[in-house]
Amino acid sequence: MAETQNRSKDVELEVIDVIEDAEIVDVDDDPVTVVSAKQIGPGRSLQEISPESRERTRAIRLYIFLPLIFLTSALLGGLRLASPDGAFVFVTPALVCLLFAAILMVLFVRGGMISIDGWFSDDLTTSNNIANGMVLASAFAATAQAFNSLLPETGLPFWVVAFCFAWSLWNNLFADFDNKKLLRSMVALFAFAFIAKYVVLAGLTAPAGETGWLRSMIENPARETMTWLLELPRYTAGTGYIQFFCLALYLGGLYLLPRSANTK
Amino acid sequence: MKVKYIHIIGIVLAAFYGVFIVFLYAAEPRSLEEVTTKAKTAVENTVTKGQVLTGTYEIDKARFDEGLAAFRMNNFVVARDRFERADPEKRDANTQFYIAYSYYRQGWGRVSNDDSLFKAGLESLQRLPIIDPDFASKDPDLQIKTAAELRNEFEEGLKVTADDFNPFKLVRERK
Repeated sequence: MAETQNRSKDVELEVIDVIEDAEIVDVDDDPVTVVSAKQIGPGRSLQEISPESRERTRAIRLYIFLPLIFLTSALLGGLRLASPDGAFVFVTPALVCLLFAAILMVLFVRGGMISIDGWFSDDLTTSNNIANGMVLASAFAATAQAFNSLLPETGLPFWVVAFCFAWSLWNNLFADFDNKKLLRSMVALFAFAFIAKYVVLAGLTAPAGETGWLRSMIENPARETMTWLLELPRYTAGTGYIQFFCLALYLGGLYLLPRSANTK
Repeated sequence: MKVKYIHIIGIVLAAFYGVFIVFLYAAEPRSLEEVTTKAKTAVENTVTKGQVLTGTYEIDKARFDEGLAAFRMNNFVVARDRFERADPEKRDANTQFYIAYSYYRQGWGRVSNDDSLFKAGLESLQRLPIIDPDFASKDPDLQIKTAAELRNEFEEGLKVTADDFNPFKLVRERK
């Protein structure tokens, strides 16, 4: 016991020595206290950043990088590459995508992922409130475009997948959950929809060719029939990669989105 | 840098990016090269609309002169194209009169007129009284000087009457 106490005292003395050796460095005219990176035990360094600097880093992440992530996701969500020439096709979101996005935002608030009081407050400056609004607006745009990305464009698949989304979202509205469970369930839902659209349905779609309808029917009867029956649009394989990146960005953005923008 | 500036930079950046996304979905370019072309067109349209709002709108004189030259050489399709590009906002009475007149001259026939061109001319002429109700052309080469006279030519040309079978009509001249 006494030996353990002596050892802990020795460790405390070492820490005090390290702090005595600390240097004060000014970076960008801001008082930033950096303790020289001396090793305190194996693999650890002692580094302290001033609250102002930390607040600045947080603001850059929150007000510059997060909107960029969400808006890039919103940009890519409706982008498809037409087959066979790979031309851009910009698909505007259907009204149902906006409804789903609105419901999902309500779920984020209900699940505790977003605290409205933490984002909008009379205590914050106007620019801060507007900037917070911009972040949430970009999150909403990205959410709508995520649904746009996952919903098939036309025909029976559109209604089936839209119904599945509506069912899941409606159930979630009345379920008890926390934000982690909500995020997990969303990842699962989106992954399932992604596989359904960009793996299963894309696999059923006949490739676009200039050989004529009759020849396509002879060469590829099953896929041509499915494409015709399900009204499947013909996109190049690159579309799936773009949409995967878009959804990854969106979910990454959600993971980075804090519950509250207000640190106080 | 103060946090307040970061807020403002964030707002401006997000607003510009948002506008760019809306532009892309509205213009629907099919390739990266088309993005530049469509952006240029969009900027030109915005500038023209801005000029209209501020009251500084003017037609493109060079294009108008090209159109007039083509009009005088009876190349009416090219003339209309140049006139329309000279006055994209359709706010210059003189240019709009020339456009309507080009339909008349192209559609006029000694035996029979081209009804579709006359109808198009009549339609384009409807803008003229809105822009300038008292408009009268100063071009000495044009025998029809006002919108009312031109409208009368179109309407008479579209009607089928007993007068159409008058053999003396074959000696009439285009105005």
